[in-house]
Amino acid sequence: MTPLETLRATLGIASPWETQHGASWLDCAGISPRTLAAAMNACGARFITITAYELPESAGFRLEYHWDLAGQLLGFLFTLTGNSTQSIYDLCEAADWIEREIHEEYALEFSGRACEPLLLRTGDAPGVNLREPIKPVSAPSPEVAP
Amino acid sequence: MSYRIPMGPYHPALEEPYKLEMICEGETVRDARLHIGFNFRGIEHLAETRNYYQVIALMERVCGICSFIHTLTLCQSMEQLAGLTPPPRALYIRTIMAELERLHSHVLWAGIAAKLMGFKTMFMTCFEIREKVMDILQAISGNRVNYSMNRVGGVNRDIEDPHAILLMVQALETEMARTIIPIFTTSATARSRCAGIGVLTHARALSCAVVGPTARASGVPQDLRRDAPYAAYPEMEFDVPVEPAGDVRARLLVRALEIMESCRILRQAIAKLPPGEFHVPEGKLSFAAGTAVSRVEAPRGEVMYSITWKENARNPSRVHVRTPTYANMPAVRWMVQGARLADTPLIQASIDPCYSCTDR
Repeated sequence: MTPLETLRATLGIASPWETQHGASWLDCAGISPRTLAAAMNACGARFITITAYELPESAGFRLEYHWDLAGQLLGFLFTLTGNSTQSIYDLCEAADWIEREIHEEYALEFSGRACEPLLLRTGDAPGVNLREPIKPVSAPSPEVAP
Repeated sequence: MSYRIPMGPYHPALEEPYKLEMICEGETVRDARLHIGFNFRGIEHLAETRNYYQVIALMERVCGICSFIHTLTLCQSMEQLAGLTPPPRALYIRTIMAELERLHSHVLWAGIAAKLMGFKTMFMTCFEIREKVMDILQAISGNRVNYSMNRVGGVNRDIEDPHAILLMVQALETEMARTIIPIFTTSATARSRCAGIGVLTHARALSCAVVGPTARASGVPQDLRRDAPYAAYPEMEFDVPVEPAGDVRARLLVRALEIMESCRILRQAIAKLPPGEFHVPEGKLSFAAGTAVSRVEAPRGEVMYSITWKENARNPSRVHVRTPTYANMPAVRWMVQGARLADTPLIQASIDPCYSCTDR
């Protein structure tokens, strides 16, 4: 059994690995990010990043967790219907900044940890950097009041 | 009694704005907190408003030192969605440019480190050599900072006279072997100033998932050029320098040795530059719907791009960039714990931080 198949069996995921576009992908429906993080720690994988996507029509989020296993790039897909997921920070120290950044950009909550401000400055609110679309301005306002 | 000392966001010891808030007892740092985001530009969001030509020009501006590496990683991921394979000559030119950029970055860093060590003569020497690296980059690309070399499916400019470039590289290698390398590997000044400070243990390097020379100086033998090779790296022979000590001197040694390995790769790549086209034929590109990822070993460590395209879309719907400093910087907290306050500028500089990348 290959390391990837061993990992899939450990996670108890039925769907197969899909290798395309630079990574091997696994749909992680039914398991939590913490289960994944614990399994990746056990096999000595290196955490890389989390990529967050906001789904259309406020349907939730898609999170891609990326790990490196012996030079192989792995992508694990999680779909969230709400705006909260479990933090893996206590299992994976390297996830600290990216969880805080996603929290600030998308107002996504990572339960089980406090997200200290990372990119936000005084007066900023989570969710303004990437989540809220920029409202089009109908007409440019004059620089100097008449 | 403990007290807080803020360093930054604007401080003579910092090249770019960030803040290191240190908790000290006497002259000893007990803990530190890092603050970033002072130059946050929202480039990932901006990329969603750019087409496949414009997004390359935009992402080239994520970093002023690694501008080629960023477009290389982006183009590699876009090529996967477009189903394109660049011709062999383009892969070699990309390898040559990537190694010249590594030389440029390492020599620039060596100069800054020398300045922080109080070794001003070395600073001048490094910046003189850096100019010569930039001359080679200009001879190839016509530019000295943002090279505009990468395109989806190849590169924009050929190396028309490889022999002339090889002569320039050989002259540069001779000069660096005579100046930078012996000083950084054997000089008593560099050794006494750097040995034993800013230690990042092997275990902490693994838990922080640090990358690049910072990881290799803590005994973690990872390098994507060897572990997951791209461009023409599968055809290159080179060693990956690894030092176990984890201190500032180890980071200095790793980069010094990598300079020589870069020269070795450059000599091979220029000598073996294959004939033929340097990009795929012109034409309108179409991208498959989906997400593609690509990784490249930048001078500071691994860069990863994740790019998502929707069906028949003009622009990417999401571009995510994980830069090396973003992975390395949190480890500074552990490096400065127990250090003398006066050593902290050199310690934080030893990871070669880039806040242009981090605050992308």
